[in-house]
This record gives sequence, structure tokens and C-alpha cells, in this order.
Amino acid sequence: MAPTLPIVGIGASAGGVEALEQLLRSVPADNGLAFVVVTHLPPNRESMLADILGRATPMPVVDAKDGEKVEAEHVYILPPSAILTIEQGRLRLRHTGPADRERAPIDVFFNSLAEDQGEHAIGVVLSGGGHDGTLGIKAIKENGGLTIAQGANVSRPRFVEMPLSAVAGGFVDLELPVEDIPQRIVAYVRNWGAFDPEKPGDVLANIHRLLRSRTGHDFSDYKERTFQRRVQRRMQVVQTTKLEEYAERLQKDAEEVHALFRDLLIGVTDFFRDAAAFQALETSVIPKLFEGKGADDEVRVWVAGCSTGEEAYSIAILLREQCEKLVTPPKVQIFATDIDETAMGIARAARYPANVIKEVSPERLRRFFSQEAGTYRVIKELRDMCIFSTHSVIRDPPFSRLDLISCRNLLIYLKPTLQAQIVPLFHYSLRPGGFLFLGSSENLSRYGELFAALDRKNRIFRRRDLISRPPLPLRQFLPNARREPGTEDGQNAFLQRSDTVRKLAATVVERFAPTFVIVDEAGQTLFFSSGTGKYLQPAAGPPNRDIVAMARPGLRADLRAALHRAKETGERVVRERIAVQINGGLQMISLAVERVLEGNETAYGIVFTDRGPIRSDEDVAGASRPVGEGEDATVRQIEKELQETKERLQSTIEELETANEEFRSSNEELLSVNEELQSTNEELETSKEELQSVNEELQTVNNELSIKIDELDRANADLNNLFQSTQVATIFLDRNLLIRSFTPAVTKLFNLIPNDRGRPLTDIVSRIDYPDLEHDMRRVCRGAEVTERSVKVSGGNGHYLARILPYRTPNNEIDGVLLTFVDISNIIAAEEQQKVLAAELSHRVKNTLAVVSSIAERSLPNDAAKAELLGRFHALGHTHDLLSQTGWIEAPLREIVSTELAPYAGGGRVNAAMNGPSVMLKPQAALLLALVFHELATNAAKYGALSTPEGRVEVAWTIAGDRPSRLELTWREHGGPPIDGFPTRGFGTELIERGIRFELQGEAKLDAVDGGLQCRIVIPADAQFIVFGSPPERPTTEEAAS
Amino acid sequence: MTAELKGARVLVVEDEFLVASVIEDMLESAGCVVSGPMPRVADALKAMDHESYDAAILDVNLAGDRVDAVAEALSRRNVPFMFVTGYAAGSLPVGFAERPRLSKPFKLADLLDTLSSIVKTPLPRSAPLE
Repeated sequence: MAPTLPIVGIGASAGGVEALEQLLRSVPADNGLAFVVVTHLPPNRESMLADILGRATPMPVVDAKDGEKVEAEHVYILPPSAILTIEQGRLRLRHTGPADRERAPIDVFFNSLAEDQGEHAIGVVLSGGGHDGTLGIKAIKENGGLTIAQGANVSRPRFVEMPLSAVAGGFVDLELPVEDIPQRIVAYVRNWGAFDPEKPGDVLANIHRLLRSRTGHDFSDYKERTFQRRVQRRMQVVQTTKLEEYAERLQKDAEEVHALFRDLLIGVTDFFRDAAAFQALETSVIPKLFEGKGADDEVRVWVAGCSTGEEAYSIAILLREQCEKLVTPPKVQIFATDIDETAMGIARAARYPANVIKEVSPERLRRFFSQEAGTYRVIKELRDMCIFSTHSVIRDPPFSRLDLISCRNLLIYLKPTLQAQIVPLFHYSLRPGGFLFLGSSENLSRYGELFAALDRKNRIFRRRDLISRPPLPLRQFLPNARREPGTEDGQNAFLQRSDTVRKLAATVVERFAPTFVIVDEAGQTLFFSSGTGKYLQPAAGPPNRDIVAMARPGLRADLRAALHRAKETGERVVRERIAVQINGGLQMISLAVERVLEGNETAYGIVFTDRGPIRSDEDVAGASRPVGEGEDATVRQIEKELQETKERLQSTIEELETANEEFRSSNEELLSVNEELQSTNEELETSKEELQSVNEELQTVNNELSIKIDELDRANADLNNLFQSTQVATIFLDRNLLIRSFTPAVTKLFNLIPNDRGRPLTDIVSRIDYPDLEHDMRRVCRGAEVTERSVKVSGGNGHYLARILPYRTPNNEIDGVLLTFVDISNIIAAEEQQKVLAAELSHRVKNTLAVVSSIAERSLPNDAAKAELLGRFHALGHTHDLLSQTGWIEAPLREIVSTELAPYAGGGRVNAAMNGPSVMLKPQAALLLALVFHELATNAAKYGALSTPEGRVEVAWTIAGDRPSRLELTWREHGGPPIDGFPTRGFGTELIERGIRFELQGEAKLDAVDGGLQCRIVIPADAQFIVFGSPPERPTTEEAAS
Repeated sequence: MTAELKGARVLVVEDEFLVASVIEDMLESAGCVVSGPMPRVADALKAMDHESYDAAILDVNLAGDRVDAVAEALSRRNVPFMFVTGYAAGSLPVGFAERPRLSKPFKLADLLDTLSSIVKTPLPRSAPLE
């Protein structure tokens, strides 16, 4: 046999995740199987099933994709909002929307699998509520596949409804604990193709014989190939490889015989099963059911053993179609029964997977079914025609006045004795001329007098109405009646009923006939009617059956003579006017004796008839009555009794009729109550289904939520630990500024206790001086930026940095605020101290310089050197001032230049100009350049442009270059006395040319340009010395201040 | 007393131009051969790779650098040195607190005296630096 991939379809619902995990964990390596998992998932939700199951097995676990080829040792999972089918080994996935949700995805897939893979399909039903999967399992089994349900004994499924429903339907081959399922499947698959007996013919013949003797059915007409396959399949299920071994097993195991029997009988479940038979039903039977019926009449049908309802609905379709051909159709009522309650539930739901509807023509499909995702549902019109109820044909009273009974493939499962009870029951239930429709392996050859074959090939029979001995099979339903133990011969029952009739007849006769005795040839009594005591009495001595001996005085002689005469002549002998002595008088009687023959038996009937009342002896002695009078009296007596009897009968009949009327009206009420109950039932069924599916979804969601909760617990624990550990006071507030939670450190600042959660923060007393707190929090809540403020402790020495941040949800919406307080008291104190120190220092330095100046002033003789010295001290002092203004950070170049030029600007002269962007100099550079400009200015005042009114100094600077950039400054003198050469070297030139290079890594050059001094200074940008103001300001020409 | 200083090669590390030029003048007037003055630690270290010195004068804080690296290098080479500083005593380089120092401003004579003393006295052992 070519290797075929065994595909295992697994259906599970509530409680299924656990079961699936266990199953997958137990799958052995190199199993060579493919698994497709179908579960009930809520739509539009991400499912974690693939992840969870992926952890349970090394095989890849993936969501099924449309068109994907199924491969060995892979697990495919139905995703949410979709239904799954399979075609030629490829998965077909169809997405469903909210409008067409599929309630039975497992049935849909299993049916498809059964059709596509036939014998190679394997179906497994695990824990779940409802009965999804039952119809699908049925299909797999009927197509020769293997069916398994999670057993409810060892590792119980959490929800047993789904597996139990499948098992109850009789469609499950194996019921196993979930851990054992994979291994079993592997063993089963290994046995494929292992069927190879040496002499199959003999063994199979044995099996045929066994079946016949154990079940009473002869399968010799069964197709050879199919028979073999069924046997083979059973062998695979029970894991036997040798045919001979299996035959032995059958010998010993009655259950296995039953299982094989069921398998052999299983056909494909369909609507219109045996299409030809239904065709015949449609043409020959259905129209006749409606003949002569108007709108007030009813067509009543009983479908016995209807299982999951396909048969009942098929017939309903035919009936409905017939109704539509009529102008005033009668009402139609179909009673559909089965002993399997689960099947009844499925039948009422009336939903069938798409491929079960194979035999239904497209027009009928359109007209009578509504499509729901992967299943078809019978429309309400038809559903209303059918009443499904649990009912046993054997134990429960039958329906009556039926036009048609359809009982297909039920009788074949019953022993002939049971059949013998049921067939007459059917006969009783049908109205005259009613029809019986049986299954294709059934016949009624034994019941020829009850049913005539209308169409033997299609198993349609008609009730025979004129039968000699109408059977009354109802005694078995009487309260204390037990079923009489059946004998092997069905005829006996028939005879028994005749016996009954005979007995009843006898009873009637007894009541009305005169007293009689039956004796044999020898005069020995065989039978006494009632009332013989008047004429006979037991003889004294041992019991004696001789009639003559028993005759009362006065009778004996006549009796003996009459008997003798009758024996001789063989004719009736009558003796009149015999006086019998009884207690209290004489009874005149007439005596008749007649021979009666029965078969080979000869007997004599002796009849005693009273003639007149009991009289005293004297009356009798003398009387000689005319015969007519005495006879008239007797006749009158009889007539009187007859009249009384008739009256009694009449009143009995009237009572019976009244009772009947009451029954009828009760029946009517019950029917209408039934109608209401049926529709309530429908609604309840629907509700139940919805509840079930909600329940299943909840289970799944519950599982996933459990996992989430665990993660959440962990996260919470982490958070709690974090809170406890942190020293930063943090408060969480919601959108309404109510306290959500806070860290322990907060209690230093706010009087909070745990019960304060939920209160507004502003209610709480705090030690912080932050009047705008509420306002700031609201602003941040509305979407402002993080707010920081330095706040003080009220009446204390602490400083805190308060930060208010918005609390953002994962969707980035603001759902509250976070308030944190960081203790910056130390930092603030340090800052304060620093300011104090800096101020102090600045003051000290200034003073020291002043002191030095004063000392020079006092100590030195007044000469040029002293003036120069003091000038330089002053330049330093001014620069210190400028630096102090920024806290000794920096001083503006412009100010330094203008300070040095200031002494030379006055009296309305405009002889100095500055031009350049904002440049800030760090202290060291500021001091050095101040001295430089001081030297340039004093030099200009002595020898250069500032020495004459016409002279002019222009100081211009720019920032040039880019990374590195540099400060380029030019000091130009115009209009002063011309200089020929360079000024001699001195303090100033040293400072300018060497100092700038030394301290600032810059360059300075002194030139004579157009007879005026020019000093060009270039200083590279170095943040240590120079900060260029940003952005570069527009250079303005400034006049030196007057 | 300043005889030892004649021809002594002295490294001067100082970043204030005017102070540096005064020190230079003072040392030259005493006959020293002045290397530098160098305003930057990097320059001083580079110089030490090429030349050897008899002594060094170190300003403690140079344009933001600290002179520790130079002190360590000198110590490794066993070159005696002294500090001139505008800072309080506590901020001398680690391990060299016992080296001679002068506070600014200082007199010429004091500078030369201190320099002489370190040129002729054997060097104290410095703590090994790591």
C-alpha cells in the first residue's frame, strides 16, 4: 500500500487546552502523523493557543493557513473567526464574520476529513461542552476511519459532554485517557496494510457463520470487498494483525461481535438515504397520504429510530412539497422518536455539516435550508412539522392513527422475538391502508397477513385491514403485564392471541348460555360450566367423575338413559319435565344431550335448562302443564335477562364513550400544550447553544486571563518592592487628583495614612510650602509639560525639588499625575554657601587690589612709572568689577574695550569707535586683554591717535572661520602723528606680542599702517577663554559714550 | 648662596604671563638657564622627554589643569622641584605635600633661596605613584 499520511483531527472545547497539552506531550517522536486542532474560540481575539501548545511539543505548532499542504509531525490550529476544511490533503481556511459565526466547526472539519481521507482519517474528541463533533465522528466512522473519545474514567475530561455525546451515539471505536491516545494511534497506523491472511476465504466464511448464529443476520449477500474491509478495520482497532486471531476473539467476545455487526450495518448517513427508495416513497406513497383529506384533517407520520433527524426531515421535505401542490392541504404532523436523548438534541437543533447534505438537490437545499457558515440548518417551517421525543418502541405505548410509519434500520438490530412484538404494534398504530417504510436490509416475510408488499425492492408495505384474527397487542402496556418470555417460534404468539379470543368467547358464552357439562364417552366429566351445583353434587366416597353418579335425585335415571341414547344414535336427545330434587323443592328442567366432535375427540354435551321456578313437591306431582306455557315462561325469563344485560351493556358503552370524549379533549389540549412547549423548547435550545458557546469562550478566555493574572501578580510584586525600597517621596494621583498610592518616604512631607487613598491630596496637611501645587497638578493633568519647582519646608530648613509628571497609560493618554519630591536641602545649602563665598571673595579681591593701589600711591614718588603702575592697577580693578557682575564667570569684550577707551572720550569728541559681535571673555582672558587694551590706549594717548583731536581709534572684531573659529580683532589708529617704525619694546609690547601667545595661544602683531598704529589680534576659539555670543548679533557701530 | 644656581637648568611651569615672565627674569638674573615658561601640562611633559633639568618650579593650578602629572614625572626622574601657588596648602598634588612651596606673590630672594636649597639637598623619597 502506498504510504498515506495519517491525519488526526482533534476537536476540543472547554477544558480542552489542558487535554491538548497532555495529548501533545504524550506524542512519541517520529510518529509520522499530522495533527489538526479545531477548538471553539471567541472571534476577534488573539489566541495564545499556538504558543501554549508549542511549549508542549517539539513539533512545530502553527496557525492553519489556506491552501497549506498538511505535513507529517506538524500541528495545525484553527485560528479564530474561521472554519477549516480539507481537500486532497490541503487545508482550506475560510474566514467568517460576526454575521455567520460557525457553531460547529469540529463537525465541519471532521466531515470534510472523513470525505477527503476516508479510511485514513482519524478523529479525536476531547473535553468540551455541547455536542459539536458527534456528527463529524459519525461521518469519520462511516467512512472507515478511526474514532477516539477522551475517556471519562482515568484522566477525566473537565467537560464530559462532548466526548460522551459522541460515545452515546455509538460512533466511537475507542474511549481512552488522553495520555494513551497518541501511542494507540501510532500502533493503529502501523497495522495499515498488515492484512494478509493465508486462507482468507475460510476464515471469513467462519466469521459469516458466527455472525449468523449470534445476531441472526446473514451477511452472505454483503459485498465481499466491503465485508473484508470492515473486518480489517475492527482488527486494526483491537490491534490484532492475524485474521485467525481475530476470528478466535469473535468466538469469545460478545461485545466484539456486536461492534463488528454495527460496523457492517453502518452506511453513509444522509438525507434521502437510499435515494431510489425515497423516490419510490415520493411517487407511490406520499400522494396517497393526502387523498381525501381537507384542511381540517391531519396527515400523521411516525419516524421510529430517527437518530439525529435526517430521516425525519427528509420525509418532512417530501410532505411539504406535496402540501404545496394542494389547494387546501391538511395539517402535517411528524412524530420522530429515538431512545438516544443526545441524538434528539442534535435533531432538534437541525444543523448539519455541508457535506451531509449530498443527496439533497440544490433546489431543495435553497428552499428548505438556511446556510450558516459551514453548516446548513433546516428551516423553521420544517422543524415545526416534527416533534422529536425520546421513546422506546419496545417499552412505550405507540402512536396511533398514523398514515405512515418510517422505521429504517431499527428492526434489523432486534432479535426476531422483539420484532414479532413490534411489527403487530405498527399494524395497530397505522390507520387502515396506512404505509410502512423499512430499511434496505429489512423485510416482513413473516408478517404476510399483517402487511402486503407495495414495493418490495424499496421496502414499502401497506397495512392489511381484513385479517381473520385481529391482534390486540396492548396487554403488554397494562401496568402489571410483563412481556411473556418469547419462544423461538413467532407463530406461537399468534396462536396465543387466538387463544385469548377463544377464552373471551368462552366467557361470553358462559354468561349467557344454559348450564352444561361435557363428558367423554365413558361418562367422565371433562368440563363444568358455572351453576351445575343445582343439578349435580359430589358423590359420597372418593372423588368420582362419573356424571351419573353425581346427578341429583330425580335426574339420575333420565340422565343415564339420555346419555345412552345419544351414544347410540349420535343425535341430540331431549328429555322434558324432569323433576330434580334440590334443597327446598323441585326444579323442573329439560335435559338435552348431544355428541360433539373435536378432531379425533368425541365428547357429549349435557345441557340443563330450567323450566319454571322451583316448586314444592306437591305442585309438581299433580301438575300437567301444557308444554308451550312452560316454554313461554322460560323464554320470557331469558328475554328478561337479555334485556337487563342489554341495558347494562348500553350504560357501559355510554360510560366508555364519555371517557373517550374526555380522552379526546385531553389529547387536544395536550397537543396544543405540546405545540407551545415545542416552540419554547426551540428557544431554550437556542439559548442553551448560545450559553454553551459563550461558556466555552469564557473558559478559553479564563485560561488566558489566568496566565495574565500570574504575570500581573509578578509585576505588582516587583512594583511593591520598588516602592518600599525607594527613598524618593512619590505620590500617584488620578485624573481627579485623588490619591491612588504613595511611597513610604512621602510621610515625611505629608500626613498620609494608608486609608487616605481615594482622598484629594489638597485635603492632606503637608509640610511643604507650595501654594500653587493644585494649580500646577491640574495643568500637567491637562497636558502641560513636566513641571519642576524648588519648594521649601514650611517653617523649616529643608528644600525639596518637586516634580509633577503626567501619568500616561500605554495608549499615551493622561490618566493622572505623579508627584515626586527630592530632598535638595544639601544642594541648596551648598549653593547658598557658594554664593556667599563668591561674594566674599570678590569683595576681598577688590579690596586687596585697592589696598595695593593705595600702597603704591603712598610709597612711590610721583612719576611716570607710578602713573603707569596705578593705571594698570585701575585697569585690573575695572575688569574685576565687570567679572563680579557675572559672578566671576565672564565679562563682555565690548565693555572691556570701552572701559579702556572711556577716559579718552569726552568733550564732545568722537574719536573712538567699536564694532563687533557679542563676545564673552573668561576671567583669565578678560584680565589679560584688559591690560592689552590699557597699553594700546595709553600708547595711543601718548604717541598715537588719541594724542590729537583729529585722531581716531577704531576697534573692530569678528568671528571668522568655522571649527575652529577664531576671534579676529583689529585696533586701528588714524589721524594721529605718523609713526615711522615700531614702538620700542616694553611692558606693553611684551604683553601684547608674547602674553597673548603665551596665555591664549593667539597671535598679535603690531604694524604701522598709513602712518597709524595697527594691532591685529587673532585668538582661536577655546571655550576656556572665549565664548562667542549666539546667534551672532548684527554688528552695530557704537559711539563711545560721552 | 646662589652659586649653585649658575648654569642650572630650570623648568618653569606657570600659566600667568606676567608672573611667568617675572620668574624667568629672576632666574636668568641668577644665571639659570630657563626652560619655558610653559603654560600647559602637555607642553611641560613633552619638554621633559627631550631635556633634563636640574630643578623645576611648578605653579599648582594651570589653566584648569592640575600639575600633578608633571610632579610625578619629575619625581620619577629624580628632578627636585618646588611649588608656587596662589592656593591654600591643602590643594597641593597628592603625595607631594612635603615639597617646598612659595605663596604668590613672593620676593626674588625667597625664590632663589628656595630654589638653591632644593638643588643642593638630596631629594626626599616620594611616595610611589600609581
